[in-house]
Amino acid sequence: MSAATSGIGPRLRRSTWLLALGSALLLAAINLALQPSFLEPGVMASNLTTFLPLILVAIGQTWVVLASDIDLSIGSTVSLVNVVTVVVIDALGGDAAAIAAGMAAGVATGLGCGLVNGLCVARLRFQPIVTTFATGVVFAGLALMVLPEAGLPVPEVYWRGYAGGLFGVRSVVLVLAAALLLCLVIERTRFARALRASGGQMQAAYQSGVPVTWTRIRAYLLAGFFAALAALCLTGETASGDPLLGGAYALSSISAVVLGGTALAGGVGGFLGSVFGAVVLGLIGNVIFFARLPFEYQTLVQGLIVLAALAGGVLVARR
Amino acid sequence: MPLLELSDLRKRYGGIVALDGADLALEAGEVHVLIGANGCGKSTLCKVIAGSVLPDSGVLRIDGAERRFRSPREAAAAGVGVFYQELSLVPSLSVEDNLLLGREPRRFGLVDRRAVRREAERQLALFAGALGPELAPDSRVADLSADQRQVVEILKVLGEDARLILFDEPTSSLDRRQVAIFFELVRALKREGRTVVFISHRMDEIFEIGDRVSVMRDGRVVETTAVADTDPGRIVRAMVGGEAAAGGAPGAAPGTAPAPARPGDATLLRVDGLSAPRVDGVSLELRAGEILGLGGLHGQGQSALLRGLFGIEPGVRGRIEVEGRPLRRPTPADSIRAGLAYISGDRGRDGVALLRPILENLAYGLVTREGGVAFPRGRVAGRLGPVVERLGLRFGSLSDPVRSLSGGNQQKVVIGRWLATAPRVILLDDPTKGIDVNAKADLFRMVRELAEAGAAILLYSSEDGELLGHAERVLVFNGGRIVRELSGEGLTRHALNEAAYATPGATPGAEAGAAA
Amino acid sequence: MSAQNPSASAAVRRRLGALALHPLTLALAAAVALLALGEAISPGFASPGQIVSQLTIAALLGMVAAGQTLVIIGGREGIDLSVGGVISLCAFVAGNLMAGTDAAIPLALAATLALGFAVGLLNGLGIVLLRIPPLVMTLGMTGVIQGALVILTRGVPSGRSAPALTALMNQPLVAGIPGVLLLWAAVALGVCLLLHNTAFGVRVYAIGANPEVARIAGMRPERIRALLFGLSGMFAGLTGFLVLGYTGSVFVGIGLQYVLPSIVAVVIGGTSLAGGIGGYLGTIGGAITLTVLQSLLITLDAGPAGRQVIFGLTLLVLLLLYGRQRGLRG
Repeated sequence: MSAATSGIGPRLRRSTWLLALGSALLLAAINLALQPSFLEPGVMASNLTTFLPLILVAIGQTWVVLASDIDLSIGSTVSLVNVVTVVVIDALGGDAAAIAAGMAAGVATGLGCGLVNGLCVARLRFQPIVTTFATGVVFAGLALMVLPEAGLPVPEVYWRGYAGGLFGVRSVVLVLAAALLLCLVIERTRFARALRASGGQMQAAYQSGVPVTWTRIRAYLLAGFFAALAALCLTGETASGDPLLGGAYALSSISAVVLGGTALAGGVGGFLGSVFGAVVLGLIGNVIFFARLPFEYQTLVQGLIVLAALAGGVLVARR
Repeated sequence: MPLLELSDLRKRYGGIVALDGADLALEAGEVHVLIGANGCGKSTLCKVIAGSVLPDSGVLRIDGAERRFRSPREAAAAGVGVFYQELSLVPSLSVEDNLLLGREPRRFGLVDRRAVRREAERQLALFAGALGPELAPDSRVADLSADQRQVVEILKVLGEDARLILFDEPTSSLDRRQVAIFFELVRALKREGRTVVFISHRMDEIFEIGDRVSVMRDGRVVETTAVADTDPGRIVRAMVGGEAAAGGAPGAAPGTAPAPARPGDATLLRVDGLSAPRVDGVSLELRAGEILGLGGLHGQGQSALLRGLFGIEPGVRGRIEVEGRPLRRPTPADSIRAGLAYISGDRGRDGVALLRPILENLAYGLVTREGGVAFPRGRVAGRLGPVVERLGLRFGSLSDPVRSLSGGNQQKVVIGRWLATAPRVILLDDPTKGIDVNAKADLFRMVRELAEAGAAILLYSSEDGELLGHAERVLVFNGGRIVRELSGEGLTRHALNEAAYATPGATPGAEAGAAA
Repeated sequence: MSAQNPSASAAVRRRLGALALHPLTLALAAAVALLALGEAISPGFASPGQIVSQLTIAALLGMVAAGQTLVIIGGREGIDLSVGGVISLCAFVAGNLMAGTDAAIPLALAATLALGFAVGLLNGLGIVLLRIPPLVMTLGMTGVIQGALVILTRGVPSGRSAPALTALMNQPLVAGIPGVLLLWAAVALGVCLLLHNTAFGVRVYAIGANPEVARIAGMRPERIRALLFGLSGMFAGLTGFLVLGYTGSVFVGIGLQYVLPSIVAVVIGGTSLAGGIGGYLGTIGGAITLTVLQSLLITLDAGPAGRQVIFGLTLLVLLLLYGRQRGLRG
């Protein structure tokens, strides 16, 4: 009865990110009204710096959710990457080569975490929620072992470089652009289609010859990679190591993904919605701050807005 | 040398033997029919060839070389394509993405979307005119009707360019025109020297398209002959083996229909001007003891009528009376309490909770009909005893999950659930879909017993033979309306077909019902 | 009764096999092994007093997990992440209502249960009416509850347990057994009866196993599912009430530590996260195993980091033992 025809209808329906974009624009307008300097380059850049880690983590979470899995360990992965990076940089003396090695070690750590999750969930067929909760506990414990307490600053070059830029473009903008470009390329591969097929109907994908297990593992690897990227950015922002750095990212990244119109059941959605979803979450924080609510009301209002936005996101994505 | 040769395949699932030394040889360029009762092992055999099941022992040879497929990918690489019912499509993806899933054309390593679209359009053109205008390459599969989905599945397999294609009941949801196109495609495959394995429960199709037929029983291939050298009777005898093949084979000959309802019998169901999605102003009356058939092409509103009557699909308008009492905007609970029962052939979706015990599955109807707080298992089991006996249900223990039963026995559980509520009006929605000959015979024996005991039966079947063999009257549907009523002398296979196709202006199949 | 009754001894053997493989048996065996290990490493670990105090902690986890078991069995990705928030909220409300007086206990208990049920029902309504995935809905609800708690408490611990409630948690009532364990036994009996011997239980399993079949059989899956979330909130409320008695007073985040363990206890107990299968007995075993494991790690003085790593790895091993999902290959 609601048969889709060629043209604008199905394309609109597939654009699950539209609602998140709309909400982001609306919040940006409110933010502008409350904070007239909102559009100034410096303020924009500082907002982007604040939002970027969640944007990256949410992108990572998206791949996993598309395959109908979930990664509750992604926050702990961020923490672990952060402490591994600063410890390696510190141990190697803090020069340029040490920084490169530290970042490489961080990315390898992120990929390692993703691989463990992927193997447990896709290969050993553990239930994803419980599994990634368990691996998250392990990663968090490992982070505490690597660096028991917050501290251990990174060399000045690192955080100055992150706060600065290249050819007049700020680093945060470059990182975001590179991440989005990478996502666009991934979206054009067979992997992206295999991912949506696996998430949409795993048995059908398997019967169609899609390498389901490897696809799910790759999704977790991507999640680990983007978590590592986020951790490197956070390291640039905080300029030090903190074993509890990533704590809240698991749940907020899931919120961002859902706000962005990606179905938790898998198969439908994409990275773009998650980017907007993360921006929405960040802007909600801004708006509440600038609305000068009494401090103790901020959490409640934020909670209510997120819940309302989630409900809205789900309702629209379902159509 | 045969294209594919299987020898002495064996496979056990726990204590159940699915394959017990099966042998089969497939020649290049033939249409090989595989037939057998449910649980005879033919789907396991197919899965072995398709690479989704590893046999415990036995040899599989292609072109004389021994092979062992560990995944569907490996089988596909060796040139095996498989059509599974309702198993190979991803509902959330578009038609084109499904058609080319896993073998998308690429440029510079990235998927070439334009080439995907071109290829999908080329394939859909094969069924041009038989699919309805709303089917486009970017339609979501979830929005398609059952027949459209089945066509997409067929096209998907054809697109794989395989040398050997297994079709497991590819025509179960298709209308006649679609079947005709499909058979043309199969003949084209044959001309290209490809091999087709064809599984169907429709005997006429087997004789229309098959070259050779292999009959399976108890995990073995018991007979392989040229189709030209055999007949339906002989095939059925081979399927059921030593057991008596008599009584209620599918498509029992016309003329065995039960005696018409006696005029004095009470009207149990009266429907007046009922409309619902895909149903357009249907009126009918059903008397105690009567079996009323609903005929016509697949998806012309028969199923929608039954589901609307029972309150499964919302949006029903018009008058419904059960035993003289009106039933307004029914929900399933209302219908059950009014004495209705609904049995669907779609067991997985509508029939059984596979993971739950047989006992609970049998008791769902009672729980609703009688309400109450407690569920004393022992006493419920005692009450269900006669029902279980009557069904001839074969099982280990009532606390085993329904999953442990064969398809036909699972369907008996659904029937038992409703027998236990002593219904007055029974709605049968293509109830024999995918069950074997013996189970079909059992089912219709029970239906007749119920009718003789005074229940009224509304039977929709996609097999003409079942309507001819069991209904006294048949209402032929087209486009959601009743277009003809056939009974007595006028109820023949020819009249059924004629009525189904006769409506001027209607396009059969185009408005075939989307599944829920 | 059936056409093919297996011989009696085969039936008995099957029963015994099923019993040996019952999640409760497995989980309790694991708990006993952990106790033995603890006793070997640190004598006194498995002393009666220690066992009772561990069971007391397990009882708290077991009560939250009762609600969690219900929503998970109810299917459609049922899960309740808001139990932590509800525990905190209800502990706070109970503490302020009773303010250290025994007389106020009945009122506090009733208010707690009602509040927990109301919050849970709100979750359920969002899930069935707006069709928000349970994970998301209950996560969002947690944010709202935490926000409300910040306003209510202004960040300062408040409220006080009544002496009788504290005694229920910490002092022996009969034969050295604290009242909370007897309460847990009663709750366990109630939940098991509800699931296995009532029409409601049959419906819960049915909607979890195949909601469409349940609907056609005249059940109302949405209504039942909403009710299950209400019950989960109620059990979390009860837990919050008891947590108050256990700790004496309340801080904002007191309940959050129960969220994920409650899910893990259910899974260890053999209840499938896909719904429709499992039960509360297994969850009890899961709660006990988890609690013993945690206290063993504390005894081993593993340090917070090492304890976390071992705890996580143990969960993975348990998943390997019996948390695996069905393979794609038939």
